[in-house]
Amino acid sequence: MASLTNLDPATLKRRSFIYRKLAAAGAEFAELNGGAVAMRYPARAESEAVTARRMGLADLSVLPHGGFKGRGTVEWLTAQGLAIGADSNKAYAQSGGELAARLAPTEIFLLDSLQGTGHLIGKLNATWQWSPSGPRPQQGYPMPRQDSHAWFMATGEKSAEMFSKICGVDLRPRHCPVGTIAQTSVAKMNAIVIRADLGGTLAYHLLADIASAEYLWTCMEDAVAEYDGRIVGLAALRSLQS
Amino acid sequence: MKIMNCPLNGPRNISEFAWGGEVKPMPDPGSLDDRAWGDWLFLENNEAGVVREWWCHVPTSFWFIAERNTVTDEIVKTYPASDIFKERVNFAPPSKTSGTEKK
Repeated sequence: MASLTNLDPATLKRRSFIYRKLAAAGAEFAELNGGAVAMRYPARAESEAVTARRMGLADLSVLPHGGFKGRGTVEWLTAQGLAIGADSNKAYAQSGGELAARLAPTEIFLLDSLQGTGHLIGKLNATWQWSPSGPRPQQGYPMPRQDSHAWFMATGEKSAEMFSKICGVDLRPRHCPVGTIAQTSVAKMNAIVIRADLGGTLAYHLLADIASAEYLWTCMEDAVAEYDGRIVGLAALRSLQS
Repeated sequence: MKIMNCPLNGPRNISEFAWGGEVKPMPDPGSLDDRAWGDWLFLENNEAGVVREWWCHVPTSFWFIAERNTVTDEIVKTYPASDIFKERVNFAPPSKTSGTEKK
């Protein structure tokens, strides 16, 4: 476990676009894979895990995320050991806890596990090569998303109801099984929502344009507060998994 | 809110879609003048009744075809563009009288 002694996010090269908001809310940051992650909020009376089971909101933007797209992508990723099913708009869990979200037949968005080591995405990016001259095999090409997409997570039994205030797609559990992807509009922004429960707790990843991260975070905080929810740290999400 | 059925993503609020113009057979860009090309690009027939139109699901940038009744604004059906465009369009080199830009 990384040190938690009042790490100043500004001392690290990688920070979330909303780290100032997280700091103002009392976040204690930890270094993860060279980035500053809001790990916990120590000044809370209620345990963050309890909050997260009811209605929690976390910022995972610093955790590794990326992808590959183009013809041959799925075949190439399968050859690298990933397990990707045939259906689009489905996310497939990998052996290391990562998610391979099939946004389209030839587009895979990769989300690291909550450990955030970046092993799988790093290994794939290092392995992928494009020969300098043709003919080139159909193997797709990298789709960098680390600095283009903010990554939030909404957790807890109230999260589906919360989404109904800001999203037109029915995300209630019985209409949206684990692994379902909705590419839709959230708080008037184009966004990707992926149901990915943590242990037995209902949870959704939310990915959207990073340039509007502050706007979306403010909207989410407002929506979450209506359901007696609060911001929680990465440590609380990890605790739900075990 | 009005609902449109995206062939890729399923039913979505109409606010997630952008209209892309009528589906019209493309004239040969190598054999018509700039005015005729501009007419094809920018002028619509605006027929009353069921018309075929391009629509885009903006969150996924997915373009598809919708048949819509312009009198009642009823969406009759939607389907992927591949249902009617089966072959790649190859552009011939422009002739002397043609416009200079292709779409």
